[in-house]
Amino acid sequence: MHIDPLEKKWAQIVLAICALFVVIIMTDALFHSVNAPSNVETIDSAKLHLSEEFAEDNLGTQIDADGNITVRMVAGRYSFFPKKISVPAETKLTFRWVSIDVLHGVHIPMTNMSTMIVPGFVAQIETSFPKPGEYPVLCNEYCGLGHDHMWSKIDVVEKDQWIAPQLSSRGVENNE
Amino acid sequence: MSQLSEEERKKILESAPIGTWALMLTVSISMVIGWLFLYYGVFLPRGMIN
Repeated sequence: MHIDPLEKKWAQIVLAICALFVVIIMTDALFHSVNAPSNVETIDSAKLHLSEEFAEDNLGTQIDADGNITVRMVAGRYSFFPKKISVPAETKLTFRWVSIDVLHGVHIPMTNMSTMIVPGFVAQIETSFPKPGEYPVLCNEYCGLGHDHMWSKIDVVEKDQWIAPQLSSRGVENNE
Repeated sequence: MSQLSEEERKKILESAPIGTWALMLTVSISMVIGWLFLYYGVFLPRGMIN
């Protein structure tokens, strides 16, 4: 098979660039322990409302005695619950996501938040919001006819203006 | 209608394709710089996933 020399050069350059990118990504993944955002923690999706952690009263933002902020969210066709939450900017937040029905995804622009929410598993991811504002929460896995309407909002306020929510009487004190 | 003589035409066809090389290098370097900027300047600063 005859391949024009210039075409060969093009192919070599393209392959070299792809190899460079793969090497950079693999190196970073190995040295920084980058993994899929799941700690392989299982949960019964059909009984979320009965579970201690994801019962309705425990959804949203919670702060523990050490000051760690955990946000628990449930994805269900076609929204994220709670619909609107408030979190502080420039603060480490631990998000724990579960699905009540089918496979969903979540993407929050301008952050590292992008993960699948697989029914039966808890997706946990740490993030922080760089500046105050209203951030959209979007589903990025096709989940049905209403997929394109599946979104909610996160209200990010200045760190010193954020008011920590009161722990519910049934609040989860230890999620491990 | 081309005004080139047969000799000039042959010379051009047989010479090195400098323009194509310049285009290949420009596109390649721009793409690598753009990718590195997005990876190190935008993606990684948002936080590692682990």
